[in-house]
Amino acid sequence: MKLEYSGQENVQANPEKVWSFIQDPNKVASCLPDLKAVEFKDERNMVATVGVAVGPVRGSFKFNIELDPHPEENKVMVRIRGGGLGSAVDLTASADILGQDDQTTLLDWQGQATVSGPAATVGGRVLDAQAKRLIETVFANMSKKMSEV
Amino acid sequence: MEITLKINGAEKKLNVEPRTLLVHAIRDAGLTGTHIGCDSSSCGVCTVVLDGKTAVKSCTMFAVMAEGHEITTIEGMAQGGKLHPLQQAFYDQHGLQCGYCTPGMIMSAHVLLQHNPNPTEEEIRFGLSGNLCRCTGYQNIVKAVQQAAQMLQQPAGAAADD
Amino acid sequence: MAVESANLEPKGIQGLGKAIKRKEDPRFIVGKGNYLDDINLPGMLHMALVHSPYAHAKILNIDTSEALKIPGVKAVITSKELAGAGLAWIPTLAGDKQMVLADGKVLYQYQEVAAVFAESRQAAADGAAAVQVEYEPLPVVVDPFKATAPDAPVLREDIKGNMTGAHGPRRHDNHIWTWDVGSKDETEKALAQSEVRIKQHMVYPRSHPAPLEPCGCIGDMNKATGRLTVYMTSQAPHAIRTVLSLVTGIPENNIRVISPDIGGGFGNKVPVYPGYVCAIVGSIVLGAPVKWVETRTENLTTTGFARDFHMDIEIGATKEGKVTAMKVYTLADHGAFDAAADPSKYPAGLFSICTGSYDFQKAYAQVEAVYTNKAPGGVAYRCSFRVTEASYLIERSMDVLAHELKMDPAELRLKNFIQPSQFPYPSALGWTYDSGDYEKTLKVALERIGYAELRKEQAEKRARGELMGIGISTFTEIVGAGPSKDFDILGIKMFDGAEIRVHPSGSAIVRAGTRHQGQGHETTWAQIVSEELGLDVDKIIVEEGDTDTAPYGLGTYASRSTPTAGGAMALGARRIREKAKKIAAHLLEVGENDVEWVDKKFVVKGVPGKSVTMNEVAFAAYTNLPPGMEPGLETTYYYDPPNLTFPHGAYICVVDIDKGTGEVKVRRFVAIDDCGTIINPMIVEGQVHGGLTEGFAMAFMQEIAFDEQGNNLSSNFTDYLLPTALETPKWETGHTVTPSPHHPIGAKGVGESPTVGSPAAFVNAVVDALAHLGVRHIDMPITREKVWKVLRQAGVDSF
Repeated sequence: MKLEYSGQENVQANPEKVWSFIQDPNKVASCLPDLKAVEFKDERNMVATVGVAVGPVRGSFKFNIELDPHPEENKVMVRIRGGGLGSAVDLTASADILGQDDQTTLLDWQGQATVSGPAATVGGRVLDAQAKRLIETVFANMSKKMSEV
Repeated sequence: MEITLKINGAEKKLNVEPRTLLVHAIRDAGLTGTHIGCDSSSCGVCTVVLDGKTAVKSCTMFAVMAEGHEITTIEGMAQGGKLHPLQQAFYDQHGLQCGYCTPGMIMSAHVLLQHNPNPTEEEIRFGLSGNLCRCTGYQNIVKAVQQAAQMLQQPAGAAADD
Repeated sequence: MAVESANLEPKGIQGLGKAIKRKEDPRFIVGKGNYLDDINLPGMLHMALVHSPYAHAKILNIDTSEALKIPGVKAVITSKELAGAGLAWIPTLAGDKQMVLADGKVLYQYQEVAAVFAESRQAAADGAAAVQVEYEPLPVVVDPFKATAPDAPVLREDIKGNMTGAHGPRRHDNHIWTWDVGSKDETEKALAQSEVRIKQHMVYPRSHPAPLEPCGCIGDMNKATGRLTVYMTSQAPHAIRTVLSLVTGIPENNIRVISPDIGGGFGNKVPVYPGYVCAIVGSIVLGAPVKWVETRTENLTTTGFARDFHMDIEIGATKEGKVTAMKVYTLADHGAFDAAADPSKYPAGLFSICTGSYDFQKAYAQVEAVYTNKAPGGVAYRCSFRVTEASYLIERSMDVLAHELKMDPAELRLKNFIQPSQFPYPSALGWTYDSGDYEKTLKVALERIGYAELRKEQAEKRARGELMGIGISTFTEIVGAGPSKDFDILGIKMFDGAEIRVHPSGSAIVRAGTRHQGQGHETTWAQIVSEELGLDVDKIIVEEGDTDTAPYGLGTYASRSTPTAGGAMALGARRIREKAKKIAAHLLEVGENDVEWVDKKFVVKGVPGKSVTMNEVAFAAYTNLPPGMEPGLETTYYYDPPNLTFPHGAYICVVDIDKGTGEVKVRRFVAIDDCGTIINPMIVEGQVHGGLTEGFAMAFMQEIAFDEQGNNLSSNFTDYLLPTALETPKWETGHTVTPSPHHPIGAKGVGESPTVGSPAAFVNAVVDALAHLGVRHIDMPITREKVWKVLRQAGVDSF
């Protein structure tokens, strides 16, 4: 099952704050909803265990997350690969980090995910809605935490 | 953990995990007439009767939740060496082929007839719509339930012997 | 608990044509059936499988360490361990081979990757969840039409570059075989000369038999005796024993296969599945019995699917509606391995029955099979091999032709039927039909449903803007594989066996190489023997499914039991009767030629009062024999049928369609079947009810669908829909009887006719209801959504 999303989020923080935030895996990980455990491999890579519920498919998924910042292009890439309960998720996303006149930052993002296994076959019908909620939550958390910095 | 289930009037002490489904506990207790046919509570072959009046797909309950309830399975339907009218009617009307859905179907029909002793064909079909059958096309099952309804309404001993 | 059998009325001699109650039922209605999962052996381990989430991926690593830490888990095996035993791959029935556990890569979603053995079902499942597999996803082939594109990824790297397959040359790495029959040139010429021609593309979608009892197996290797006992949900236990012996090297006499009661099969329980092999290997390695019972998800996603035929047909006819020629091209999606369950010489099964009940002079059919990233299969789901696809194709096409000719579909059929005088009828594609009276059967059906009245009603309703349709299907089946000159599976000829032992007191035990799954053999075999030997049907017990005791046979599928084992039963009984006649003459103190078999007794010719019964003869066979005669009264008979049988039927369906919602309501369905001689009318009617319901399911509900990544979207009963009592129509059944001239009792087999014949009737009815809107065809399953879209596209108002 292929999912594609894109959108724009306005964060109440200037681009410098945003950059320092997203280059810190610790901070990024703290935005994941229902985070159960996280292990940092290096400054770009981490393994996060996250509680997932897609319809009747409920349990922990383990994700390898790679942050790939390109400050020279004002762009950050994220690759997530992993899964659990016999399911697999492959996701790539990127965001353009655009400073605004009012000292806020616009994240112009898009991402594609491929979902395989029971999360797609059994959870397929609710997957889209769940994925959207997940994205919203991540951004809401980010926005909140960045503005707190 | 140890639990006691009352199945067909007999108390059975069972050692189960908290996650053990009622259907597995019943089968592990040696009562294999209650079957398993799916992973999604769709097929109804595991249907048993709770407290004499509620049909329950026994895969939708944990075994521990059934403590304190009276469970009736297909093995508890015949009394005193005599078939229950539903069993007799399924036999008379060719209401079964492979026999796999039959126990669950009879248990659902049993509850249906308690709530509605004289159901129409439509009501029977609705009442059994949680139980799948792959062999019979349901037509003879409907006839069997109609026959059983008649038998149950006749005074004891005067049951139709066709 | 012993349930009194007071209601099992003594039936006495109850031979052919009697609607006696089934002898197998008393155990099922009290919950005492003995299905595979009901069997528990001392010290038994449980097995669970690890499945791939990807439809196509390289396996980079399998880490079993976490699984082995779980309490109760005994062992985990992968393809590597199987390779050590020479069992990483096994041969398929279709001449291909398949992985038992994924070897280097996975080729379909949910493919088996590892097997976990544990002390309990729960520990095995926990162990399976803890196995870590690292994959590298590969591009996926879902659409069979894209499988042989030049840039398509190669699926089967094990045979990459090997351009000769089991059934001839391969033109692409994802191409399996091309099979054809008939004269292409002559057919094309005849089509070119035809006054009217129709072309139609239609899909028989991927379906799944989904018997309510899933597949399962217990392997039980006794290391002390060297004997392997295998309990298996198998429709063909004897063939399984032979295959097991060939692949494991264990001598066949040291393998005992037991098929206990089977909770429905419908073709799903014919092949050998990886789970069976792993449970057996586990038992051999661990020295304990190992049980594996699949989940419903495993059943729907990994075991034998059916259909998936993408068909193009062209039919020529005269202006008056006489058919002239037919040309068919079919693309068959076989999934990742060619594991179709067809007789060896027939990779597309008996699809060449596609000329149906009609007198086509010229015909040509070509079928191409390709690999895709889907589960293997191609089983005969409640039909003789690929006959459902063929019948649907011709019966749907006859309606397309009728539409083109603006002719009534019943009239078109009547104009083209093979006539009774033409039998035995050689078809353009090479079959010799045994018997049939198609016109008679259709006329009975037309009369029963009140066809002329319905057409009038339809015209009136159409004028009012209401949607009502009538669909006809007058199919011919081809079943009973089969004659050994043409039919074998892995080289084993497709005869079947029966053993009859009459005991001194006049009771008997009867065994057959078939294995029923609800068809009622315990009753019908007893009826045949009761008829032939004059024994009480109550005193005949039937046993099937234990290879240590039953005679060899190829099993129960493709409506073959009655044509093969049923024939063996009748001829075996007759052989016993010949010996019995000699004993009767001895008892009656007359010469053998003075004795005749009348009213199920041996009677002295011309002296009606002087007779002996079979019961008396049976006693004498053990107590008072003619001098020099071998004692006993028993035989084993292997019957090799001279031809296949060709059951037929006429089905008519009436539907009403809701313009607002697209809901199709089946108002009436009349099914007139002709299966030759009827053994037990009650059982025949039950088989027809069930088969019609599966036909209904395929027409309106069932489909195994995939998304672009090869995710199986029909992996459980909330997504793969089976009809319940609520939506299943009420069936009106009847029959005509045209006996098979070559079968010992004239029977043809019936279990599958309704599944084969009915889908076209349903679809024809829906299309007929919409024909005036320009609709010519709708592919199955005809969901409300599809009809709703058709209605909106045609600009029909909701009200």
